[in-house]
Amino acid sequence: MTAFARIRFAALLLMLFGLTTASVLAQTLGPDGAPNPTASVTNQRTLLEQAPRIQGRIDIPDVKASVLMQPMGRTWDYFHEVLLHWGAALVIVGMLAVLALAYLIMGRLRIEAGRSGEMIVRFKAFERFSHWLTAVSFVLLGLTGLNITFGKVLLRPLVGPDLFSDISQIAKYVHNFTSFAFVAGLALITVLFFRDNLFKRVDIDWVKQGGGFIKSKHAPAGRFNLGEKMVYWLSVAAGLLVSASGFVLLFPFYGTNIADMQIAQVAHAVIAILFIALILGHIYIGTLGMEGAFEAMGTGEVDINWAREHHDRWLAEKLEAEGRQASATPAE
Amino acid sequence: MLIRKSERRPERAKLSNADAGPSSSGLDRRTFLKRSGITAGALVAVGEISLHGVRQAEAGPPPPVGAPVTIRKNICTHCSVGCSVIAKVANGVWIGQEPDYDSPINRGSHCCKGAAVRDDVLNERRLRYPVKLVNGQWTRISWEKAIDEIGDKLLDIRQKAGPDSVYWLGSAKFTNEAAYLNRKLAAFWGTNNSDHQARICHSTTVTGVANTWGYGAMTNSYNDIRNAKTILLMGGNPAEAHPVSLQHILEGKELNRANMIVVDPRMTRTAAHATEYVRVRPGTHIATIYGMLWHIFENGWEDKEFLSQRVYGLDEVRKEIAKWPPKEVERVTGLPEAQVKHIAQLFATQKPATLIWAMGQTQFTTGTANVRASCLLLLATGNMGQPGAGANIFRGHTNVQGATDLGLDVTSLPLYYGLAEEAWRHWCRVWEIDYDWMKSRFPDKKLMETPGIPSTRWFDATLLPKNQISQPNPVQAMFIMGHGVNTITRMPEAVKGIEKLELLVVCDPYPTAWSVLSERKNGTYLLPACTSFEMEGSRTNSNRSLQWGEKIVDPVFEAKNDYDMMYMFARKFGFADLMFKNIKVENGAVSAEDILREINRGGWSTGYCGQSPERLKAHMRNQHKFDLVTLRAPKDDPEVGGEYYGLPWPCWGTPEFKHPGTPILYNTNLPVKEGGGTFRARFGVERVVKRKVMENGQEVEREDHDNLLAEGSYSVGSEIKDGYPEFTLGVLKKLGWDKDLTAQEFDVIARIKPADPDKVSWSTDLSGGIQRVAIEHGCSPYGNAKARMIAWNLPDPVPVHREPIYTPRPDLVADYPTLPDAKQFRVPNIGFSVQKAAVDRAIAKQFPLILSSGRLVEYEGGGEETRSNKWLAELKQHMYVEINPADAAERGIVDGGWVWVTGAENSSRARMKAQVTERVGKGVAWMPFHFAGWYEGADLRAKYPAGADPIVLGESVNTLTTYGYDPATGMQEPKATLCQIRAA
Amino acid sequence: MARMKFLCDADRCIDCNACVTACKNENEVPWGINRRRVVTINDGKPGERSVSMACMHCTDAPCASVCPVKCIYPTDDGIVLHDKDLCIGCGYCFYACPFGAPQYPQVGNFGSRGKMDKCTYCAGGGGPEAPGSAEEYAKYGSNRFGEGKLPMCAEMCSTKSLLAGDGDIISQLYEERVEKRGYGSGAWGWTTAYHEDVKK
Repeated sequence: MTAFARIRFAALLLMLFGLTTASVLAQTLGPDGAPNPTASVTNQRTLLEQAPRIQGRIDIPDVKASVLMQPMGRTWDYFHEVLLHWGAALVIVGMLAVLALAYLIMGRLRIEAGRSGEMIVRFKAFERFSHWLTAVSFVLLGLTGLNITFGKVLLRPLVGPDLFSDISQIAKYVHNFTSFAFVAGLALITVLFFRDNLFKRVDIDWVKQGGGFIKSKHAPAGRFNLGEKMVYWLSVAAGLLVSASGFVLLFPFYGTNIADMQIAQVAHAVIAILFIALILGHIYIGTLGMEGAFEAMGTGEVDINWAREHHDRWLAEKLEAEGRQASATPAE
Repeated sequence: MLIRKSERRPERAKLSNADAGPSSSGLDRRTFLKRSGITAGALVAVGEISLHGVRQAEAGPPPPVGAPVTIRKNICTHCSVGCSVIAKVANGVWIGQEPDYDSPINRGSHCCKGAAVRDDVLNERRLRYPVKLVNGQWTRISWEKAIDEIGDKLLDIRQKAGPDSVYWLGSAKFTNEAAYLNRKLAAFWGTNNSDHQARICHSTTVTGVANTWGYGAMTNSYNDIRNAKTILLMGGNPAEAHPVSLQHILEGKELNRANMIVVDPRMTRTAAHATEYVRVRPGTHIATIYGMLWHIFENGWEDKEFLSQRVYGLDEVRKEIAKWPPKEVERVTGLPEAQVKHIAQLFATQKPATLIWAMGQTQFTTGTANVRASCLLLLATGNMGQPGAGANIFRGHTNVQGATDLGLDVTSLPLYYGLAEEAWRHWCRVWEIDYDWMKSRFPDKKLMETPGIPSTRWFDATLLPKNQISQPNPVQAMFIMGHGVNTITRMPEAVKGIEKLELLVVCDPYPTAWSVLSERKNGTYLLPACTSFEMEGSRTNSNRSLQWGEKIVDPVFEAKNDYDMMYMFARKFGFADLMFKNIKVENGAVSAEDILREINRGGWSTGYCGQSPERLKAHMRNQHKFDLVTLRAPKDDPEVGGEYYGLPWPCWGTPEFKHPGTPILYNTNLPVKEGGGTFRARFGVERVVKRKVMENGQEVEREDHDNLLAEGSYSVGSEIKDGYPEFTLGVLKKLGWDKDLTAQEFDVIARIKPADPDKVSWSTDLSGGIQRVAIEHGCSPYGNAKARMIAWNLPDPVPVHREPIYTPRPDLVADYPTLPDAKQFRVPNIGFSVQKAAVDRAIAKQFPLILSSGRLVEYEGGGEETRSNKWLAELKQHMYVEINPADAAERGIVDGGWVWVTGAENSSRARMKAQVTERVGKGVAWMPFHFAGWYEGADLRAKYPAGADPIVLGESVNTLTTYGYDPATGMQEPKATLCQIRAA
Repeated sequence: MARMKFLCDADRCIDCNACVTACKNENEVPWGINRRRVVTINDGKPGERSVSMACMHCTDAPCASVCPVKCIYPTDDGIVLHDKDLCIGCGYCFYACPFGAPQYPQVGNFGSRGKMDKCTYCAGGGGPEAPGSAEEYAKYGSNRFGEGKLPMCAEMCSTKSLLAGDGDIISQLYEERVEKRGYGSGAWGWTTAYHEDVKK
C-alpha cells in the first residue's frame, strides 16, 4: 500500500465524526437569476477536495446508492488488510508473549498456606452462569471474528478454499447470533458485579502492597481486588463499544452511511483485538497463573486459605455474615 | 454438509486456456470502435485490441439446448425517435436483445425504455384474456362472446342515437397500418369522432406548421441536427423524452462547437448540457419570440433575401412585433433585455440554426399560435429548408407522426385530405366503395364533412346537455384502442364521464386507468391487445422515416393484434367484405402489407405513395448502408441506392418511380427527384386583401392581389424558374408537359373525373402520373409558394400573446385575454368566461403556484405499460411534485415528504411526495404525467383485474389540471395552470 | 495487453438509465439489485452532471484484497470476477469498494446479506460453471465477453457516454472528444480505480 493511502487513512481517522458531503458549488446565476449550466462544470477533483465522498441524487430507494464515489474505500481496505493484520497480530502475539514471560518468571502463584480443605462460596450459580454465558460467547465471537481477519491467512491454506468458505459462512452466522448471547451475558455481569467493583480505599493499599505479586507483602482486598476491578470495567467498556459497533455492522445502513459503517468496522476490530488481549490476561490468571482461582468460577467455592490470601476483607465479611469462625489456622 | 468442492477457481486468476474460444472471436478493432460509437477513421494510432481468455459463449440467457436462435428486428414502441430493436428468439420466446449498430438513427443505443422493451412482451402483468365487469367484478369471457356483446351494444347505440354517439379513440402506438384501419373503421361506422394522442401532443404543431408552409411535421431530422451551429430548444426536454436524439444533438454540439440554448421553466436534464439556459414563465412563448424578433429586426439580423423570395405577410407581423419592445417583454416574461438580445443574435447570426420543440409549446390554449410564432422566427432568420436548420419538432409517441398522417384526427381522412366531399370521393375511389353508400353511413352529408369531437372533450360531449352539442346525441360509448385516460386534463370530469357512458371498451395490453377510475359496475370490457412487437407493420418516426417492424413473437396469452381485432368488429358490423376488399385476410389474420399497399395507392397528398412494404423491408435489411448525417445510401447500391433511410415522406410517385424520400422539407438546394422541395402552394396563388391607402390625400379602400407564389426561388433543376401553383392535368397541359404522361396514366386520370379531367390534381391522380411528370421537370407536385407569416384562416392569423386561462398574472389578462367563447368541434369552448371568473375570484391568490407537467425518461404516456415493466418501475417508485426550496420552506415541506396538492377546479386534490429542488423556479411546481392508480389520495390497486395491476401506482397530475382549449385544435392546457401545496 | 475498463463521459450522460435497464435485461438482475446505477450530482443546479457507475474493475481491486474468503479475483483482461459459491455475504467488499458496486440480496431477517452480486463486465461468472452455460447465466448473468462483445450497458448507452473496452483505446477516444469539444469533467473514478487518469 502506498504512502498516499496511509495519509488518507490518517484523514479517515480525523473525520471520524460528522461527515457531510453536500457538494457546495459556487452557483453562478444568469442575469434573470436562473442557473447558468455552463458557468460551472463539475469535476471530480474539485468535488473530492470539498468532501471525502461524491454524493448525488438517485431515485431508487437504496439510499446508499446515492454515493457515487468514496475513495476512502481503498483506505479502509488498507486499514483492514495491512494495519489490522499486523496490529492485531502484534497485540495478540505480544500479549501471549507477556503471559508466557510472566509464567516463566513467576510461575504459578500457589496458595501459600496450602489448602485448608474448608470451602466457602464465592460465586453463586446464577453468577457463574452469567460469567460462562459471556465467556463462551466471547470465545466464539473471538474465534469467528478472528477468522474473518486471519482465516484466509491461517486456516484457508490448511483446509482449502471450499471448506474454508463453508466454515466461514457458518462462522458468520455464529458470530451474528452469538452476539445476542454475549450482550445478555455482559448485561448480567455488569449488573451482578457492579456494587463489588466500585473503587474503595482498600484498592490503594492493594496497589501499595504490590497487588499480590510480591510474595513478602500481603495485599488486602475485598470481594474483588483492583486488578479484577480493572478487568471488570475495561470489559464493560469494551463490551459496550464492541456490541454497539457490532450492531451497527449487523444492521448495515440502517440510518448509517458508508463512512459510519467503515468507522464502525474499524472501531469494532480495534476494540475487539484489545478486548481479546485483555481477556487473554484474565484467562491466564484465572487458570494457569494462580492456584485456586479457577474453582471460584468452576464450582463456585474457594478454599478459605485462598480467600484469606487474596480477598481477606471479603472473607471476613462473609464469615461474619454467615456467623461462623474460620476453622483453619490463620496464616502467621 | 461441508462438501469439498473442486479446487479453487480464484487461484487460477485467469480464465483457463482450455475455455478459450478461437482468437478470432475477439473484437476486431473496427467492430470495437463502432461499438464505442466512433466512426471508422477517427483513430489512427490504435493497435489491434487483443482479448485474453476470451470464452466462446452465447451472450444473454442461453437458449434451450438445441434450439436455434433467430434474430428479428422491430422498432422501439416508446418515443418517436424510432430506435431499432434487435430481438433474439428461441422456441418462440424472446430471450434477449442486442444493440442494432446498423441503424443510422440509434446506432445501437437505447434509453432505459428501449433497453427494457423485452419485459413489455414478457410481462406477467399484461391483461391475459378478455374480461368484463359484472356487478363490479371482473369476469373472464371468450373473444367471440366479447365481440358479440360489444358489437350488439354498439349497433344498438348506433340505431338509437346515431353513429356519432360512439367515439373511436385510437392510438399513437398503432402501426401505420392499424392507424389507417382504425380511421377507416370509423369512416365505415359513419362518424368523424376518431382521434388519438396527437390531439394532446402536437395537434397544434400540425395545424400551425402546416398552415405556415404546407406540411405539419418535423422539417429536418434528428441526425441532421449534427449540422446545426445553433440549437435552440424551446419547450422540449429531449434528454428525458427523446434520449437517443441527444446522441445527435450532443455530438453535433461538440463537433461544431455549436450554441445549445434551452429556454424552459425547468432547468431540465437537457438544460444541464446546454451552453445557455433561459428560465421563462410557462405560457409566455409568443412574447419571448416577439422579444427576439424585435431585436432581430432592430439590428437588421433578418434574412432579407429569404424573406422577399419565400415569405408572405411580413408587414403584418412587423406591426405585432412593434408591440414588443424589451420593456414589455420583460414585463410579461420576466426576461431581461440583454438575455433576449443575446439569444436572438445567436439564432439569427450563427447559422444554420434549428429550433427544437415538443409539448412545451403545444400544450397551451395558444398552442397553435405558439408554434406559428416559432415558424416566424425560423422564417425571419432564413433558417428553413437547409441542413442544420429547420423546425425540428420532436413528436411524442413511437408512431404519433404516422397515426396523425393516417388520419386518426377529427378533422381529416387519412393523409390530410380533410373531410370535404372531394376527400371522401378520393378515398372511396381508393377503397373501391360507392360514395353514396359511404354517405349513407352518416346521419347526413353535413355531419360527414364536419370535424368530430376532440379527444380532450370526450367527457364534455358525454356530460353536456344535448342542446349544447352539435351532433344528434351525446357520446354514449367509448371504444378505446391504446389510449390512456390520465393524460387528458380535468380528470374529475372524466370520472363523471366514464360513469355516464353506456359502454366502455378498452383494447390495450394493460387494463389502464380507464378500468379503475370510476364506480362503474357493468358495461365495461377490457380486450387484450398485443404490443407492436407481436405484429408486423410500419411506423413513421418523427423525421418522417418509415420503418418496417417484423413480428418478434406471437401475441402472448390471448392477446390479439389490432388488425385482426378490427377485422372481427368489422365482420360483426357487417361491412368486413367492403372494408377489407383489397386487403388479404387469411383465417382471420389480416395482411399488414396489403394495408400499406392500400395506403400507397391513396397517399399521394403527403407522399405516402412510394413506401411499399418491399422497399421498407429492403431498408431494414440494408440499414448499415445509410449515412449517419445525411441518412442517404450510396448511389451505386443495387437495392437502396441513393435513397434516404426510411423513405421519409413525401416519397413521391409510385414505388416503381423510386423517389428516394425527402430528408429535409422545402430544401431548394436539391432537385425534387433527389429529395428537394419548395414551400407548398396550399393556399392559392394569390390573396385578395382590401387595404386602406391614401390616394390624392384621400383615404380609399383598395383591393390588393398579393402574390402567394415564390419569387425567384425554386429548387435545383426546376424547369420553372419562379413560383408555380400545384399541378393538375390542366397545368400540365398549359406547360405542354401532358404529352409526357403515358396512355395508362391518362386512362386512370380520365376515370377519376370523367367530366373535367383537367381538375385532377397531383393529390387525387391515382396513377401518380402527374407527380411523376412534374418531378421529371424538376418541380414540386404541390407547387412552389411562399410560406405564410399570416395564416388568415386561423383564429389569430398573426400570433398574439394570450395569458393562460389560469394565469398567475391576472394583472396581464386585461391586456392579453384569451379568445372569446365560441363553439368549436361540436362543443362549446368557454375559455374566456373561465379566465374571467378566475380573475374575478382571485384564484391566483388561493392557488399561487404555477403547475406544469412533463415527462420522465423511465415512463411513457399514461405509463401503464412502463409502470408495469419490472426494470423500469424500480427506477421511479413514487409520484412526486417538484417544488422550489423557497416555496417548500414557506410551507414546511421537506424533500421526500408527503404533500397534498390542490387544484383550481372541482376542489381537486392529490397526495404525492415532494421533491424539493432548484430545478423549478420559485412559484412553479412541476409533476410527471405518467402516473395513475391513485385518485385523490385513495389507492385503487384492488380495482384492477387480478394480477394485472401495474407495479407502480400514483396520483395523476391531470386530477389537478384545468379548463383551457386551443380554439384551432381543441388542445388542452396542462402546461400552465395553478395549484396550492401543503405538507400532508 | 488489453486491459478492460469503463469510462463515463459525464458531459454526455443524460441520466437516461439505459445502462441500468440494459444490464437488468441482459443479466436478468432481480428487483432491488442494481449492478449499475446513475447518480446525478448537483441535481437541478448549475453544474448538474450525471455519472453512470458500476464496478470499475479496479486495478488492485480493494474488494478482492479485503474479501475474507478470497472469492474475488481479476482476470488477465483486468475484469474483476467473483465466485458466488465461496462468497459468505459478509459485506466487506461494499465497505472497500470506492464505487458502491457490490450488491446483496436480502436473505432472512435484519440486514443479513446473501451472496454478493455485482457487474461482471458481461463476462459470466468467476465460479466453476461452464462458460456460457445455463448454470453460469442463472448465477451471474450473460457472457457476452466470450463472444467478443462488450458489456450491454455501454453498448446501449443513449449518447455514447459510457465507454467500455480496452482502457488505452477508450481513454484515447475520450481525450479526442475533449480536444474536439474543448471541455471535459474528467474520467470519473479513474484515479481511484486505476491509479491513473486520462490526460485531459
